[in-house]
Amino acid sequence: MLLPLLALLFAPLCLAASFQTDHAKLVQLAASSNGVIRLDEHSYKLLTNPKRTWSASVQFTALDKKRRCGPCKDFDPNWNAVAKAWSTVPAAERDNHFFGTVDFDHAMSIFQQLGLQSAPVVQVLPAVEGPRRPASGRSNPIALDFSGGFDAAPLAEQLSRHTPVPIPYKAPIDYSRIASGLFVLLSFVAALRFISPILKSRWTWAAITIITSLIMTSGFMFVRIRGMPYNGPNGQWIAGGYQTQFGQEVHVIAMIYGTLAGGFLMLTLVVPNQLSPSRQRMQIYLWTGVIFVMYSVLVSIFKEKNRGYPFRLLL
Amino acid sequence: MPLAYSLPTDLSPATVVNASSLLRIVALALISGAAIASRLFAVINFESVIHEFDPWFNYRATRVLASEGFYEFWNWFDPTAWYPLGRVVGGTIYPGLMATSGVIYSILHGLNLPVDIRNICVMLAPGFSALTAWSTYMFTKEMKDESAGLLAAAFIGIVPGYISRSVAGSYDNEAIAIFLLMFTFFLWIKALKTGSAFFGTLAALFYFYMVAAWGGYAFITNMIPLHAFTLILMGRFSSRLYVAYSSWYAIGTLASMQVPFVGFQPVRTSEHMAALGVFGLLQIIAFAELVRAHVSSKQFQRLLYASVIGMGILGGLAIVGLTYKGWIAPWTGRFYSLWDTGYAKKYIPIIASVSEHQPTAWPSFFMDLQLLIFVFPAGVILCFRELRDEHVFVIIYAVVASYFAGVMVRLMLTLTPCVCVCAAVAFSSVLDTYINPVEPDAVEEEAETAGDGAVSASSTAVSTSSGSATKKGKKAAPAAQPGPLGGLVSTVSAVVSTKKGEKSRGIFGGDTRLAVLLNALGMLLFFVLHCTYVTSSAYSSPSVVLASTNPDGSQHIIDDFREAYYWLRQNTPETAVVMSWWDYGYQIAGMADRPTLVDNNTWNNTHIATVGKAMSSSEEVAYPILRKHDVDYVLVIFGGLLGYSGDDINKFLWMVRIAQGVWPDEIQEPNYFTAKGEYKVDDGASNTMKNSLMYKMSYYRFAELFGGNQAVDRVRGQQMPKIGPTLDYLDEAFTSENWIVRIYQVKKEDPLGRDLRTANAFEQGKRRKRSKPVARRRAIV
Repeated sequence: MLLPLLALLFAPLCLAASFQTDHAKLVQLAASSNGVIRLDEHSYKLLTNPKRTWSASVQFTALDKKRRCGPCKDFDPNWNAVAKAWSTVPAAERDNHFFGTVDFDHAMSIFQQLGLQSAPVVQVLPAVEGPRRPASGRSNPIALDFSGGFDAAPLAEQLSRHTPVPIPYKAPIDYSRIASGLFVLLSFVAALRFISPILKSRWTWAAITIITSLIMTSGFMFVRIRGMPYNGPNGQWIAGGYQTQFGQEVHVIAMIYGTLAGGFLMLTLVVPNQLSPSRQRMQIYLWTGVIFVMYSVLVSIFKEKNRGYPFRLLL
Repeated sequence: MPLAYSLPTDLSPATVVNASSLLRIVALALISGAAIASRLFAVINFESVIHEFDPWFNYRATRVLASEGFYEFWNWFDPTAWYPLGRVVGGTIYPGLMATSGVIYSILHGLNLPVDIRNICVMLAPGFSALTAWSTYMFTKEMKDESAGLLAAAFIGIVPGYISRSVAGSYDNEAIAIFLLMFTFFLWIKALKTGSAFFGTLAALFYFYMVAAWGGYAFITNMIPLHAFTLILMGRFSSRLYVAYSSWYAIGTLASMQVPFVGFQPVRTSEHMAALGVFGLLQIIAFAELVRAHVSSKQFQRLLYASVIGMGILGGLAIVGLTYKGWIAPWTGRFYSLWDTGYAKKYIPIIASVSEHQPTAWPSFFMDLQLLIFVFPAGVILCFRELRDEHVFVIIYAVVASYFAGVMVRLMLTLTPCVCVCAAVAFSSVLDTYINPVEPDAVEEEAETAGDGAVSASSTAVSTSSGSATKKGKKAAPAAQPGPLGGLVSTVSAVVSTKKGEKSRGIFGGDTRLAVLLNALGMLLFFVLHCTYVTSSAYSSPSVVLASTNPDGSQHIIDDFREAYYWLRQNTPETAVVMSWWDYGYQIAGMADRPTLVDNNTWNNTHIATVGKAMSSSEEVAYPILRKHDVDYVLVIFGGLLGYSGDDINKFLWMVRIAQGVWPDEIQEPNYFTAKGEYKVDDGASNTMKNSLMYKMSYYRFAELFGGNQAVDRVRGQQMPKIGPTLDYLDEAFTSENWIVRIYQVKKEDPLGRDLRTANAFEQGKRRKRSKPVARRRAIV
């Protein structure tokens, strides 16, 4: 609300293009909103003055709910945290670098003008004139790369290359996490007396071991590291292709593996203890059948992933 | 005792023992034969050729060793690698592999068998796979018995997860390392079981061999201490453990420090600190045990325990403190990225860029291990059932290795032996149970069954069975329910207390035996078919020579790589420096024998980034870099014509990323994408992309090949522009038959001092463009 008003008030001055006042205005805008200037067409023009002696980093984003930009929402708090860290720098240095945010729904024309098709994007605008002009004389914006993720620390590190002094960003201490960790540890110690028979039981550890290796061998780490979705669009749960998989496949495959291993265990450990011949016979045929059917299912799922696979069982 | 089927009775026990040991030997010999034979697909389909990338360096080093002797090899400085820096080869390799082939070579020549060193290198991996099968047999024998051992040997002999690294021609460290891994583990188990310093020393010697052979020795360095530590926690400290561990650690560490590449790492890096810490802990505990045996005062004992714990904590703090002060190096990047999986991508893109360092999706597990992958949890449970010291080892191995294999595809190799062992234990238990002809005494009354179960459950094993009932609760929750489910619960609890119910365990009838055995045999048969299929189709390609099928089904060999490398060898001066992406460094050195800028020993990130920068910049920027590094030829791999997807344009983004890591101001990844963020090479490609040296070299004159038709890149499925890129600073020197390898010569500076672009324009008869046409002079009237 205030911003357009301000812009309107100062419009004539802008047209006069008085340099000092432009800068002062930017400083004022930055100070009034926690270090991040909410840019619109007009203030963006102010900031990107072709004779600017300051540098700036600008975030292009689309935070409105209807834009459905998940990464934008993830990134925005980190951006604000870094900008806030920058606002703690002494004024002499701080006023030579500005942080700005352009939201798609407030300044569509800027997006069109720059030909931006995706968000979030961060551009660093180097100073064009004055003492802070980079040695290479480069004046066109530098795009930041997000290959290292959206975290604030690497962002601050990357931006520090372009600011007059490094951004004094420190990751906030996550007290709630420490507290919950401590709580779990303490309650574990307190409960140690009661759960120690469970901990000393080898079958507890057997369960932990088996579950771990089942999950690991069904591609859990792949899903985690690659950030694969739980299932694909329109509800399909098998990712086509040999080198990839969805989250749901971990569950299904681990279940199949578990059932098959369970079948083997039943046949070796449980069934021989059965003392009634007829019941034992029934169990043997049951588990043999389970193994055979589950194995066929597994092979057919594998065939789905690896089309060239020539073998199949029942299915 | 009733029998399900009759056995011959007129055999003396000695005959049975002799026959079974003969059968075992024959079976092992056959397994070795199968293991070697199934690795020969590569030689039969192609020829006796060294595969892939790293093996070419190993082969080259082995040739130096065989022709010039060990001391020359040891002091070998290779000036042609990493030009102009050079590489001290003796101090930067694991020499075990080359030494092994060198020894075999001299033995064979001592016997007047003039075998070519190349054939020894090609056949080394299959030969050692037979030894791996044998050592797995020995290892599994310690876990269960000989029959399980034979099964395990058969599994590891043909399982694709191991074949993938040991086909004929894949002359890499892993070829001998898996044998050493399994044999060291076997010796460790043997030392632990017998408490003999002799086996401990043998384990240390093989550990030394392993250290000399493969960087993965750190797996042993941490597995054995972890095992010892777990045993201590379980209250199973014994003098056997003390003797075995101390002899292994002391001798093994001193021996491993003799390898120049390892040097003082065993006392200076975090990877080795666990072994040192457990060694210290064992000394403290042994001392405490000793004192306890001689002192009776209860208070003194309490004091002793307190001091032992205090010393342990102090020792741990000391290690932490030394790490903090920098006396002990923290985890290296490669090792650290196993725990923090995002680490490599952020900080060491070279590691993240290698395809075998990617995480593993489940189809890879199934492809490599097939039925073993789901039988192996059953084997782990069986290990829990007995839980002797050696079973603890297998259990830890299973958990650790399955995590590692999930994080990195290449570590599937360390999981494979463990999976084979566990699956063999499970499978042979099934076979044991159902082949055994003894039938139990039938008890018809149900009441007695339930009663039997209840009695056993209320005996000493109460705590364990109740624990298991709560853990496995979903399966056996309604314990009080009568009927078949109740019977099942009672049998489960009877199983848990292993000693109970032993009297009348067994299988009734012959048809049940037949059903289970036929099913098991069918599964094993399927396994063999699967292994053969995977080995022949997926793992036997040398990647130096490619194969495709002609329309009539016959095999067509694509030999572009060797064609191009031999062109370099024949047509360029010996000092001509060749620049290529690092993947091809070893092959160029091995086949073309020319100096290279970077190779697969990725020790110098900046040098690699320099090459990446040259490839991803425009000609004007790249030319000074090429000239400063004396580059005469640039080699690129281009698959667009043939549809070979492993080409340089597909790797290009990694070059950009690695260069960006060093020159973030000059190279920026987003510039190589279109405005929509797509990676394109057609008309819509970004300008930076179109001007990059890599793009120009790949597509130079590509459109001409289609004679006016639409040019299509068959890897990326994109239509190329009609007018391709032009080159001013490079000349096309050679393009192989299928265009896979393209070699460009770097032009020298223009003799007239013009820049090459202007000179080129002049050659082509183009005028300099002027802003205005010069007015024709008018005659003055």
